[in-house]
Amino acid sequence: MARRKPDLPQGTLDMLVLKALSLGPMHGYGIGQRIGQLAENMLTVEEGTLYPALYRIEEHGWIESEWSTSENNRRARFYNLTRAGRKQLQVEESNWAYLSLAVRKILKAS
Amino acid sequence: MRALRYLYRRLQALWRSEDIHSEIAEELSFHIALRTEDNIRRGMTPEKARREAERRFGRLSAIKEEGYDVRGGRWLETTWQDLRYSARMLARGRWSTLITILSLALGIGVNAAIVTAYKAFFVRPLDARNAGEMVNIAVVRNSGLRDYTFSHSDYEAYRDSVSAFSGLVTYRPMQVRLSNAGEMISQRAAHEQSAMARLGLLTTTASNAEFAHVFVVSENYFSVLGASVLQGRTFEAANTAGAGSPAPVLISENYRQRRFAGDPAIVGKTVHLNGVAVTIIGVTPRDFVGTGVSTPAFWLPVSIEPLINGDSRWLLSRENRPYRLFGRLAPGGSIEQARTQIVSVADRLWNQNDSKAESNTPATRPATALVWPGSPFPLPLRDLLGVDLAVGLVMFGAAMLLAVACANVGSLRLAVARSREVELRTRLSLGATRARVVRQLLTENALVGLAAGGLALLLSWALLKVVVRAIADALPVQYGTLVFDVSPNLAIFAYVLLISLIAGLLSGLSPALQSPRSALTSTGRASTTSVRTRRLQGVLVGVQVALSLVLLITGSLFVRGAINSLAMETGYESKQVVQLNFQFPRDPKYSEDRRVAVANKLRLRMAALPGVSVLTSARPPGIAFRTAAVPVDERRQTAGTGQSILHYTYVQASYFETLGIPLIRGRGFEGETGAGQFVVLSESAARRIFVNENPLGRNIRLGLVDERPHPNRELVAVGTTYQVAGIVRDTRGWSFDRSASEQIYLPLATGRIAHHPLLIRVQSDPLSIIRSAERAVASIDPEVIVTSSTLEDALRQSTPFIVSTLAAAISSSIGMLGLMLTLIGIFGTVSHVVALRTREVGIRMAIGAQKQDVLRLILHEITRPVVAGLIAGMALAAGVVYVLRGMLYGIKFVDGSYFVVMSLLFLIVALLAAYPPARRAMKVDPVVALRSE
Repeated sequence: MARRKPDLPQGTLDMLVLKALSLGPMHGYGIGQRIGQLAENMLTVEEGTLYPALYRIEEHGWIESEWSTSENNRRARFYNLTRAGRKQLQVEESNWAYLSLAVRKILKAS
Repeated sequence: MRALRYLYRRLQALWRSEDIHSEIAEELSFHIALRTEDNIRRGMTPEKARREAERRFGRLSAIKEEGYDVRGGRWLETTWQDLRYSARMLARGRWSTLITILSLALGIGVNAAIVTAYKAFFVRPLDARNAGEMVNIAVVRNSGLRDYTFSHSDYEAYRDSVSAFSGLVTYRPMQVRLSNAGEMISQRAAHEQSAMARLGLLTTTASNAEFAHVFVVSENYFSVLGASVLQGRTFEAANTAGAGSPAPVLISENYRQRRFAGDPAIVGKTVHLNGVAVTIIGVTPRDFVGTGVSTPAFWLPVSIEPLINGDSRWLLSRENRPYRLFGRLAPGGSIEQARTQIVSVADRLWNQNDSKAESNTPATRPATALVWPGSPFPLPLRDLLGVDLAVGLVMFGAAMLLAVACANVGSLRLAVARSREVELRTRLSLGATRARVVRQLLTENALVGLAAGGLALLLSWALLKVVVRAIADALPVQYGTLVFDVSPNLAIFAYVLLISLIAGLLSGLSPALQSPRSALTSTGRASTTSVRTRRLQGVLVGVQVALSLVLLITGSLFVRGAINSLAMETGYESKQVVQLNFQFPRDPKYSEDRRVAVANKLRLRMAALPGVSVLTSARPPGIAFRTAAVPVDERRQTAGTGQSILHYTYVQASYFETLGIPLIRGRGFEGETGAGQFVVLSESAARRIFVNENPLGRNIRLGLVDERPHPNRELVAVGTTYQVAGIVRDTRGWSFDRSASEQIYLPLATGRIAHHPLLIRVQSDPLSIIRSAERAVASIDPEVIVTSSTLEDALRQSTPFIVSTLAAAISSSIGMLGLMLTLIGIFGTVSHVVALRTREVGIRMAIGAQKQDVLRLILHEITRPVVAGLIAGMALAAGVVYVLRGMLYGIKFVDGSYFVVMSLLFLIVALLAAYPPARRAMKVDPVVALRSE
């Protein structure tokens, strides 16, 4: 039986979305796919949390969106990273590195 | 940047809300479609694939809503909800809402009215097409003197040499005698019936001639201004040279209505102005004022001046400089260009003419020119004495009134909010965020503010229109019709909108910030309010009281000042002295000798009238020219140190007796014939020149005494030397400083009496003397124009008196309004306090409190802030009065007891206002109160 995948902590999703978009513009469905692929399926993104996250990040100004044509010639809304978003990604990455190091230290203690 | 994007999205949502919904839906359905395809590829049936795809979204509609909100759509609907809810809540608290709106409307309305009146009167442009292109002109000399009137030859020089102007016009107002104009309306009757005369603001003149107020303008006036005519035509340069046919004039529509009963055949009619025949060739539109502020009776071309003034060389003489110049900037011309060109022309003119004159000094050379946007006022407003200060003061008073209104509304709203605590708590517990609740309360206040602003705008516009209509007809016919444009323009509208929003939000802000917090913390049933809210309410009441007290005290002081200026001790008899001005027509047959003969006959005739005790020829006190004076040591004939600048006037020996000015030392001009070398000084003049020494018999040297105005820099004591014969008591002048009391009385030569009015001391009724004077002049020489009034009436026309009256009227009105607002505020606040504390009162009465105790309890809560406000108000008022002391006529020092008395009065009135609602508390039935919830 497959172990139920743990939930992503709140806020981490934002960082992952930013990371995913740093590799190039993509529509909502594709972002979810990309994240899953990058994580080699260790993670899946729930639609119920993805779009709220996207809207929230867009409100902050870290990504922007526009209508375009998808690979199969359908109209889709594409998101891309802004310059502010790129900076934010760096910030969040370094925060994450710091935190995970700290947590690991604590857990290593016996 | 983020804020901008936020705003931009919200604005976009206004018209794109449908689109936003569909965009989000499209985006999500795209996602679902891809997922469905994926599922099908994995082997699900299409139906199951789709259902699984949708299931993964979970709360699809919730996501759509959130997206819509983020993309800017939600705010519209929540605002609309807020508006409807606010409207409902306001309608429920009908009375308090009404009082709130009225209070705010009062405060805002006063501000709006003042701003509109200011714009209509002071900031008014010229009545011309494309008025923005018109400018005024003045030349500033090295001495600092500003020349805004020019001679005709100057005008022609500027007109031809300044290319920055596409047109330059001249203008001067003038009074002429009208005759042969058909039935002569008794001007005295019309005069006396006009509102201004009834208010005592115009002299009761007795004239045996009819006058008309006219504008003399250059021939190109109407074409440069771009004005049209109702009937007939305007001047054309070619036709106005004619000596044969009567000169052409235009008549204003207003005058045609008032004087000629709207005669439709007025064009072509002939009348006589100053004895010169003129033909009316056109009618200017109603209320057209051109470069003035009132409509004239007639418009005269400049070419008529030699005829009207009885001097064929009138226009050529550079001594005659009455014309004001107005220019229209040429396309591409700028004010800077105009300025430089004007200065160079002025300089050229000065070199040609003035530099050779005897009075030439470098001080008269032109230094620069003033060119400013066209206005009927001769100088830029900054330079018109006192206007800035006066307007600033009035606006400050109005702002204070608005502050009172806001504080008033603030305490009212606070009281209202206290009674809505239950509702707010409920909303919070149902899930509303604090921000949302605050937003709704703010919307409510903004709504109140806007309603008040709309009402204020309407009321002030209506009121001003009524006032303007009244003023327009207030002046007698010959002065024309004053025209004001009081319709609010965009700027005023925006201003009112802004202050009503601010006022509404400000006054409602404190409850909005307070209530949610207190609502969150208190539990259970409504208890009596938190200390903090009570304190805030007290502060608001205190602020109202303080500001109102300041307004009241200032207003009442201005009223006292006005009364003072009326009742002031002038130092001479003003009620029983009649001033008789006589003017000779501009006709060569009136030689100097003839004039003197007529004047002498007049004197004899007047002296023989019953009731006349003594008369003299002199200008009345107050018409003042200034000159320099230095004491001279008779032994060494050298001038003393430091010259003083004093007023002087030419009088005869009988002057002092006529006016009842007592002689203190020495003698008058008795026994002098003709112009002697003696002068009489007033007490303060003697003190100024001779300080502590005995002035009798001493000599003084004076400067220019030609009875013309000169700037101070031209007054140098290098003229004749006179000996001091006597000292008389001071007379009080009209100016607020005491310099007008320092007078030098010079002897009037008998040959000059034709140029001075008669001052006649009467024992009986002055009015009958005035009538007799008219008849006397008519019998001696009917062509002489006579006007007369008592000196008292002339005083009432003086500027300081009018200013102090106006100031009194305005400030006392504002003070009264402030008081009214504060009393309403106190009444409302106490009512609410009573309503809220009903339960508490019931408990107290149940455990034995008497009615008086209850009354004392309620009143106590209001008394403390009122007293605190009064104390603060007194301190503030003291400061304001100190700043204004220069403007308060005759009040040099205000003692503290006056403040205390006013404050006590205020306190009593405030308590009276609080009494009725407090009495309601006394009537509470304890049983009912305890049960009510």
